[in-house]
Amino acid sequence: MKRLNRDTVTAVLLLLFCGLLFQQTFFVRKVPFSIMGSEVWPRVVLSALFILLLIYLFKSLITPPKDIIEKRPLKVWLDMYRNPLLCFGMFFLFLISLPYFGMLISGILFVFITQTLIGSRDKRSLILHAIVSVGAVGGMWAIFRFGLGVVMPAGSLF
Amino acid sequence: MFENIYTAFGNVFTLYTLMLMAIGVLCGLVAGSIPGFTITMAVVLTLPFTFGMSPIEGLSTMLGVYVGGLTGGMFSSAIIGIPGTPSAISTTFDSFPMARKGRPGLALGLGLWASFIGGILSAIVLVFLAPTLAKIGLEFGPWDYFMLVCFALTIAASLSEGDLIKGLISGVFGLVIAAVGEDAINGAERLTFGIENLGSGFDFLPVLIGLFAFSQLLTDMSDSEAAKKPMTSKAQKVIRMEHIESIRLCFKHWGTMIRSSSIGLFIGLLPAAGSSISNILAYDQEKKASKHPEKFGTGVPEGIIASEASNNATAGGALITMMALGIPGDAVTAVMLGALTIHNIAPSPTFISTQPTLAYAIMIAYFLANFMTLFFTSASLRLFLLVTRIPLYILGVVILLYCAIGVFTLNNSTSDIWTLLIFGVLGFIMVRNGFPLTPMVLGVVLGPLAEINLSRAIATSDDLTLFFTRPWALFFFVMAVFSVFFPVYQAARNAQKRWATYYAAAFIACLAVPIILMGGWFRTGLGIAFLVMAVLMFVKRSRAPITTA
Repeated sequence: MKRLNRDTVTAVLLLLFCGLLFQQTFFVRKVPFSIMGSEVWPRVVLSALFILLLIYLFKSLITPPKDIIEKRPLKVWLDMYRNPLLCFGMFFLFLISLPYFGMLISGILFVFITQTLIGSRDKRSLILHAIVSVGAVGGMWAIFRFGLGVVMPAGSLF
Repeated sequence: MFENIYTAFGNVFTLYTLMLMAIGVLCGLVAGSIPGFTITMAVVLTLPFTFGMSPIEGLSTMLGVYVGGLTGGMFSSAIIGIPGTPSAISTTFDSFPMARKGRPGLALGLGLWASFIGGILSAIVLVFLAPTLAKIGLEFGPWDYFMLVCFALTIAASLSEGDLIKGLISGVFGLVIAAVGEDAINGAERLTFGIENLGSGFDFLPVLIGLFAFSQLLTDMSDSEAAKKPMTSKAQKVIRMEHIESIRLCFKHWGTMIRSSSIGLFIGLLPAAGSSISNILAYDQEKKASKHPEKFGTGVPEGIIASEASNNATAGGALITMMALGIPGDAVTAVMLGALTIHNIAPSPTFISTQPTLAYAIMIAYFLANFMTLFFTSASLRLFLLVTRIPLYILGVVILLYCAIGVFTLNNSTSDIWTLLIFGVLGFIMVRNGFPLTPMVLGVVLGPLAEINLSRAIATSDDLTLFFTRPWALFFFVMAVFSVFFPVYQAARNAQKRWATYYAAAFIACLAVPIILMGGWFRTGLGIAFLVMAVLMFVKRSRAPITTA
């Protein structure tokens, strides 16, 4: 099969995930004297999900696909999803750095670097990104820290 | 009752609450006006700030954002021709041509006054209908409540954009997510895969912000070139709103105002159906009812009035459903339900009787938010013109971080920020693959409610037929079945299939059965009237030739 229907692939993956979740319901602790066991509700909704996914799979097989997953060069694919991938990646790094740098510094770095990667990199833009990241993150951090009394994560390094 | 109203007035009309509401309205107006930033996103981002507030202060602020956002959506519709929010899509059809003809002040003025009148009309209905509906809600047993949740999920799926089956999958997947962690009845852990952090399940707020704000921002920023450009390339001239002419036109087209507000209110009453649907429906109905439908889209006042009156009226309807039944009327009221839960208040049919001060305060705040929106619109218009000069990526990245800070404040836990990221990615993938997010959020909100009521129903009686034989349960079952088949009916109607002409008659006839079963002279009479109406419709349709809608 050279061409794959995107819905078919999604349906199969979701069916596998549904099966995995259903298998997990067998590990739910039995609570004595309970009228409805804790595993009943997840099984009910997972059964409903299973039926819906089967219909989805069936539909995807019988209807002519609108979009086909064709072999795209990796570069084209990366260009298409450049900004979301950058944001997800940077947000992931922000979370990783949080225990070391704390919310304030990690936040400023996240905003500055992400804006620079997505936007322009000329001198004027870099200054703008720096001002925005320090002002916006510092301002919001101060509101929560001093205004609302929330203890923000502090870093082990700073 | 009057004592509660008096106390509620006292609580809302404090300087602090009024100030919070004013900030909320201003933020809503600006957030609503920025294309890509939805009202739900604005209300979701407000939520963390409300944790330290009393429920009245928090909900008043959120209502300010909500009402402000509904009106703010028209700014960009009229000035740059891009709807600020999905609730202002049809506002663009006539406000932008009117602005291009040299009357931007009239386009904005009409939108503002139509929004205000629509909002006030729905607020009046809210005051009278919510307590009545809550009294009806007290008749519900666990079977009825369970079926109501099923109906809420099916209607959300069928009214969402795209494939019905994807909407249903999305809704049921929301139920699965809500089932992760300790169950509320027995306290046993479920679907955790042995991961300790999942023991307490997913918190509602990170899931909501991840799905609605995080994924939406990334979708908006996907286009690299568009993300770098400001929305307006050159400075806009200051626009003066034509208030007097707008008021005159609103009263001249009072029929449009009433009709559109009623449509908005009705859509708001339906669980999970929001202003993104009502504005298009009201515009379409107005066009059909007009003597000059061909002029729609060229800048006619009725088009703007229909869209703006209906989208603001939807808020009142959504609040009625939330306060009277504990079911969110739209995505924003789903967030408000979450906010109430954080304050240990669970909306249900007893909400108005057990929390009368809070309930009346919500109604008063809703009235007040409409007046504040009217007052602040001119000021926020200048702010909007400034904001549109900022490229989207600068705003987007800052808001991504605000999401993280907001989510952290919920439990002072970084694991919630991980949840935000996970659901942000999930939401992005889902939207890219055509799965609507609203049914999923509804599933997450209503999942625990459905489980508890199913458990109560089974504990009360072994008889599972009660889910289909009790009048209210049957009523919601009929509604759920017909809502599932609604997209099939729409497709059949467009394809001129004969059976589609009988769909409405069949629906009314089926609905009549549970209404008759409810007993009492009024309901029995209503049910019989429904049956007669269904028969008459059936006869009329069987004689009429098929026409496309």
